[in-house]
Amino acid sequence: MIRLENVTKSYSAEVVALRDASFDIPKGEFVFLVGPSGSGKSTLLRLLNREDRPERGAVWVAGRNIIDMPPSRVPHLRRNIGNVFQDYKLLPNKTVFENVAFAQEVIGRPKHVIRQQVPAVLDLVGLAGKEDRFPHQLSGGEQQRVSVARAFANRPLILLADEPTGNLDPATGEGIMRLLDRINKTGTTVVMATHDQRIVNTMRKRVIQLDRGVIVRDQARGVYE
Amino acid sequence: MLSRLTYTLRETWASFKRNVTLTVAAIITSAVSLLIFGLTLLIQHGFDNLLVKWEGGIEMIVNVRAQASDEQRAVISAALDQQRGVIIQSYTYCDVECSLADADRVLAGDPTSRELLDETNIPTQFKVIPNEGTEVDTLRALKVSYNDLPNVYSVELAEDQIDLIAKLKGFAGLYTTGLAIALMFAAVLLIWNTIRTAMYARRREIEVMKLVGATDWFIRIPFMLEGLIQGVIGGLVACAGLWFVNNRWTAGVAAFPDDSGFEAMVVAGNQLTVVMLIILGIGAVVGMIGSGIAASRFLDV
Repeated sequence: MIRLENVTKSYSAEVVALRDASFDIPKGEFVFLVGPSGSGKSTLLRLLNREDRPERGAVWVAGRNIIDMPPSRVPHLRRNIGNVFQDYKLLPNKTVFENVAFAQEVIGRPKHVIRQQVPAVLDLVGLAGKEDRFPHQLSGGEQQRVSVARAFANRPLILLADEPTGNLDPATGEGIMRLLDRINKTGTTVVMATHDQRIVNTMRKRVIQLDRGVIVRDQARGVYE
Repeated sequence: MLSRLTYTLRETWASFKRNVTLTVAAIITSAVSLLIFGLTLLIQHGFDNLLVKWEGGIEMIVNVRAQASDEQRAVISAALDQQRGVIIQSYTYCDVECSLADADRVLAGDPTSRELLDETNIPTQFKVIPNEGTEVDTLRALKVSYNDLPNVYSVELAEDQIDLIAKLKGFAGLYTTGLAIALMFAAVLLIWNTIRTAMYARRREIEVMKLVGATDWFIRIPFMLEGLIQGVIGGLVACAGLWFVNNRWTAGVAAFPDDSGFEAMVVAGNQLTVVMLIILGIGAVVGMIGSGIAASRFLDV
């Protein structure tokens, strides 16, 4: 599903975010990206989303090298990728329902499909009955659930999560992880960048560790070291 | 398709509401610049109307009273024939029907005077094209001699009118066009700034849209539509202004003395419609240019 081949990305001569990184993630796998701040985790997620391009190497997503992908095709790539962020990135002037529906509306889903799918996905993330609330009326954990629902609404092949539990207390974070695990079990490949040692150690999934842009460890059923 | 259209209109309306002050400022600026440009076009039309009788190289018109007999007209014709090849290259006789058609154009702004003219009282005209290189002084001498011919009402020389009119036309055209272009540039900039501000205000939405796979055009279109609407509303306001000014001018000209010559400067209804359509088109283009540049340039918010 995802393959990196000798990928190097630098922001300047001194700042090399990724150095000769290579790995392969099969369909349906759950992978943690770990490492200190500035190790290249977020850069890697940006490359997978084609928000950025490397200087060298190839990034394969769903069978296509997205480095050479023309800009007009990038939106279509992103319809197969869901994104969850530490700061949720919800639209404050839209309700829970509208936030999730918005993701479907902007890719041209018909209204009747949206009316069917949004309640189903809100039910999946445990927010049934809170459709009409605005983000400021929700707790942090609930806002992150909306963000997950929005990312999953289009049933993406891949879900990229950048520190999704970074702003949450441990109990709420665990709830989000259970949710991501459930989504992963539906066949969606999940790649999650995190600093949360406890979560990584509890989940025992594949761990790719980065240090100053270099992959220093790639371990199945790994722990945070 | 319908849901996309609904989305586009809804987002455009939302952006309008969010940005009311800047939107109103952009509309006023474009309306003022388009009004000035429209007035320039109307003034040019007015001058063209004033000069229409001198089209085709005509430099002298001998106006003959309606009661002139065929013999008297033949005398005038013979006097003109005498100079053919010497001073005059050619001349045409504008009969009653032709003179009535001229009156329709020249007196468009003074229907009361036009109504007073009919087949029985309208002066007919000999329209004279002089040889190339004929001196104005020679034509002036000819004018004096033709004035004495029987039942000649008046003799007009283009030289006496064209110079002044051309100067006025050039002056008015240059300065009002220059001002209108400067103001239109300001309108483009203001619409550009309005759209940029609107995009900045909605940068989070744009970021989310891009992340979930909205195409650049899908994101741009509501903003471009917003700019287009601003330009068109500006154009409509300018059209209303043009209609008002033209209406007042037409009413005012009717009160001028008959020999003032200003009655020809009235712009008739069909000319005004054409100018209004041009102004609306330019308004739409101004809006599209301003918003199109902003929506392309600031998409990476």
